[in-house]
Amino acid sequence: MRILLIEDDKAIGSAVREHAAAGGHAVDWARTLSTARDYAAVAPYGLVLLDLHLPDGNGIDYLREMRDRLDATPVIILTARDQISVRIEGLNAGADDYLVKPFDLGELSARIHAVARRYGLRPEPIFSLGTLTIVPAERRVDRDGQTVDLTAREWAVLDSLLRRPGAIVSKTQIEDALYSFGSEIASNAVEVYVSRLRKKIGADRIATVRGVGYRLAVT
Amino acid sequence: MTKSASMTRRLMLWLGGATLLFWVCAAPIGALVMREEFDEVFDSALQRNAQRLMPLVIDDLFQRAHSHDPRRIGNLAPEHKEYFTYQVRDRVGRVLLPSHGALAQSFDDAPLRHGFWETATHCIYTEEVVSGTLFLQIADPLDHRREAAMEGALSLFVPILLLAPLSMAVIWVVIRRSLAPIEVLRQEIGARDGGNLSPIGMIGLPVELDTIAASVDRLLERLRTALDAEREFAANSAHELRTPIAGALAQTQRLVAELPQGAAKARARGIETSLSSLAHLVEKLLQLARAESGIGIADHAIDLVPTIRLVVDDFGRKPENAGRLILDIDGCATLIRKVDVDAFAIVLRNLIENALIHGLPDTPTTVSVRIDGTIAIANAGPGVPIPELQEVTKRFRRGATTIAAGSGLGLPIAAMLIQRMGASLELASPARGREDGFEAIIRISR
Repeated sequence: MRILLIEDDKAIGSAVREHAAAGGHAVDWARTLSTARDYAAVAPYGLVLLDLHLPDGNGIDYLREMRDRLDATPVIILTARDQISVRIEGLNAGADDYLVKPFDLGELSARIHAVARRYGLRPEPIFSLGTLTIVPAERRVDRDGQTVDLTAREWAVLDSLLRRPGAIVSKTQIEDALYSFGSEIASNAVEVYVSRLRKKIGADRIATVRGVGYRLAVT
Repeated sequence: MTKSASMTRRLMLWLGGATLLFWVCAAPIGALVMREEFDEVFDSALQRNAQRLMPLVIDDLFQRAHSHDPRRIGNLAPEHKEYFTYQVRDRVGRVLLPSHGALAQSFDDAPLRHGFWETATHCIYTEEVVSGTLFLQIADPLDHRREAAMEGALSLFVPILLLAPLSMAVIWVVIRRSLAPIEVLRQEIGARDGGNLSPIGMIGLPVELDTIAASVDRLLERLRTALDAEREFAANSAHELRTPIAGALAQTQRLVAELPQGAAKARARGIETSLSSLAHLVEKLLQLARAESGIGIADHAIDLVPTIRLVVDDFGRKPENAGRLILDIDGCATLIRKVDVDAFAIVLRNLIENALIHGLPDTPTTVSVRIDGTIAIANAGPGVPIPELQEVTKRFRRGATTIAAGSGLGLPIAAMLIQRMGASLELASPARGREDGFEAIIRISR
């Protein structure tokens, strides 16, 4: 999943970005609201992690802007303001969840998964495809009872296919899930990671739709 | 503490008492003075009558000079009551001429010399004429004087019997009207508290009270500014302190994730634990700062049930609390109370956290909202002795029920905020309906 992280603190931002990336997400990190607006204008995001106290404005205002333009991207607020009234204000403005700093990165991962599930990005918490079992919450894949090790980028590809099991996911969508801004993108990167993934979970599990993209074979 | 007497009552007692005393003292004094004045008037009249009678009586005596028998003036007028009587005596005391109705005993013992003399029944004036050979004595009955004095005194006392209650009523009305602005000012000042520090701003107060109202307004403004500054400081401190701790904790957790198993990873875990403890302590200190800055009462009522759900949900989603927190709303869909929602959330967080820390592992903590408006947080675990129950709301008094003791600030913060909210906190052990455990019951009046 491609995540927009809006956070002005360097220590928190870098740790959250690394943690989310290790979890198989592509993270674009904006330190200001104006940068976040620029990013959001050119890339679709599956989730926004939003700080409230930012150098060029209040995160709640940005959230209201999003909802005003009917942008339904899930938003998790990350803030040091722990008053319940601020939390209620954030939820009323359209936030999906609220995490008070300092937080546990593991808890952040759980919240991200919960929000993603709530939005139907993963209709089922556990996928059973023949001898293949995928548990997104634990980032675990079992094949014939054996755990399959996936790298972060291989997981990102599988995660983007899992969002709509059986439906076609375009190559561009997979690229968006793979890379954040500033990363080097090889022209055949998607093909390379799909190929590696097929070797690990079974070639017949990912079908190629020529000229369009890929889909997870659920039958 | 004894109840202060009301100013109205005190003024009524003093002014009414003083007025009554004045009337009671003034009336007899007035009567005495009046009696003296009456006596002077009567004496003067007696003297004047003697002097007017004198030429007539002497002339009459000399025309009948050779008779030695006492003579009486003829009764020309019809029978009537005489106030004044007189008689003429010679130097040996023989009565030469008594007036109509004059009785000898009226003049008993009155000496034959110029001036006044008083007997038991009369006041007598004696005038000396013809070189001390004749004496005219004129008598005025004392009963006459007493009757006049009595009627005069009554004319003083009877109006007083009416005027005294009337004056009391007038004093009461004047006091009430004069003190009415004080009562209005008192009510306005009494309406000010932690949730209402608006200026009094009363117009049309008497000069004496206007100064007080202006001073109170200045004090309220100063208090409001100080509290706002303190609250702002607490809020800013929350951000300024939490952010670097959050950064350090997140970086440490990344370090733990990246380090291979070994001493360095164990050390990083130690740092992570210390940072988590520091974060927890900072949270408590910031809550304490907020509690001391006067949050608690709000100027409008809110529904507390959504806040209870949010806080319980927040705890329930933590992996360590999975399955340990039960919310029992019991059909109480709303709980409308006039409290500050942030203060209430801090109270609830601390009480739930306390119950979870001190409850037995794998046993549930229940948050109940009852129809009677009470909110109860109960856990299962060892009971708390009564002496310890009385101590747990003091700062840094940790419970002895678990090794994983809290900061020693949670319950004191909750107790302080509940007091500021005008609510009550009851601590019970064992919990109601159980043989063990601890229960905190919050009662917030409507």
